[in-house]
Amino acid sequence: MTQHRGTGIGPPDEYIEAEIHRLLAEDPAVAEQGITVVRRETGLVLYGEVESAHRREEIVRRVADRFPDVPVTSEIGVIRTEAPTQIEQLP
Amino acid sequence: MVIRIAAVGDVHLDEDVVGRFRPALEELPDCADVLLLAGDLTRHGTEAEARCVAQEFGGLGVPVITVLGNHDHQCDQVPQVVKVLEDAGITVLEGTGVVLECAGGRLGVAGVKGFGGGFAGRCASDFGEPEMKAFVRTTTDSADRLAQALHSLDCDLLVALTHYAPVPDTLAGEPLEIYPFLGAYQLGQAIDSAPTALALHGHAHAGSERGVTPGGVRVRNVAHPVIKQAYSVFHVGDHLDQGEVSRLSASGT
Repeated sequence: MTQHRGTGIGPPDEYIEAEIHRLLAEDPAVAEQGITVVRRETGLVLYGEVESAHRREEIVRRVADRFPDVPVTSEIGVIRTEAPTQIEQLP
Repeated sequence: MVIRIAAVGDVHLDEDVVGRFRPALEELPDCADVLLLAGDLTRHGTEAEARCVAQEFGGLGVPVITVLGNHDHQCDQVPQVVKVLEDAGITVLEGTGVVLECAGGRLGVAGVKGFGGGFAGRCASDFGEPEMKAFVRTTTDSADRLAQALHSLDCDLLVALTHYAPVPDTLAGEPLEIYPFLGAYQLGQAIDSAPTALALHGHAHAGSERGVTPGGVRVRNVAHPVIKQAYSVFHVGDHLDQGEVSRLSASGT
């Protein structure tokens, strides 16, 4: 991973966003490609849905470890696994 | 004649997910003739993760048919993954097909993982660097194998199963910039070359559920983050008028 000028001394930049995307996809402990990173004035917000609460926590932990000076909040959800209550009919 | 098809993709199993789907899966014999899995069964494609898939999706009381996804290739253990799945009674398709005898008729399912490349007018071309040509040829080879598999099946109802998307319709919600990594028009062309009744795919987690190929074949994105339930159920057949396409009704009707 490349060191970023912006880390710790200014607002998050687009390279941080790109790096988080690659970190989450390429880190074997995460392997998530569907997480969206949104930059707010208050820091980074992570959106998306994953298959377990453990994965959600691991994503936030990895990003916080990599960018300790950037405030990170999570709106990541765990996908429901109930049986369907409706069907789709296709003639 | 009605054939009941349950489907989900992108379940990304590992030890932390085992057991989450099972209660809903136990209901399948009451509501479906078959379960189709649209790839990305695992996180990294390890043999250990495949055992989690076998535990969760094995022994369900209905046939289970799958294709693999890009995640299932990550650790280069595809032969081991396939063996674990097949030992659990799960049929793995890759350029192949299978015909099942269902109460409503013979269901043919042809499957490939597929690949990216993009959609008509905005796609990669078989031109330039070796890497680019290899990329596009991977897509066209996959689409050709899907077409061959579709044409090889003698059945009453033909379904195409892929991981990558055959149309852009079901990618709506994904950033336009990544469409070429999510699917390829050649898969849709293969589906349209045969009398396909339904095409199912996954891969596009932020996409949308419904689409149609240029030839009029219904396409459904059954990626788990899209359908937000354990699986979707489709009743396919000649039991309804055209006007009732996509009408939703209570389960079991």
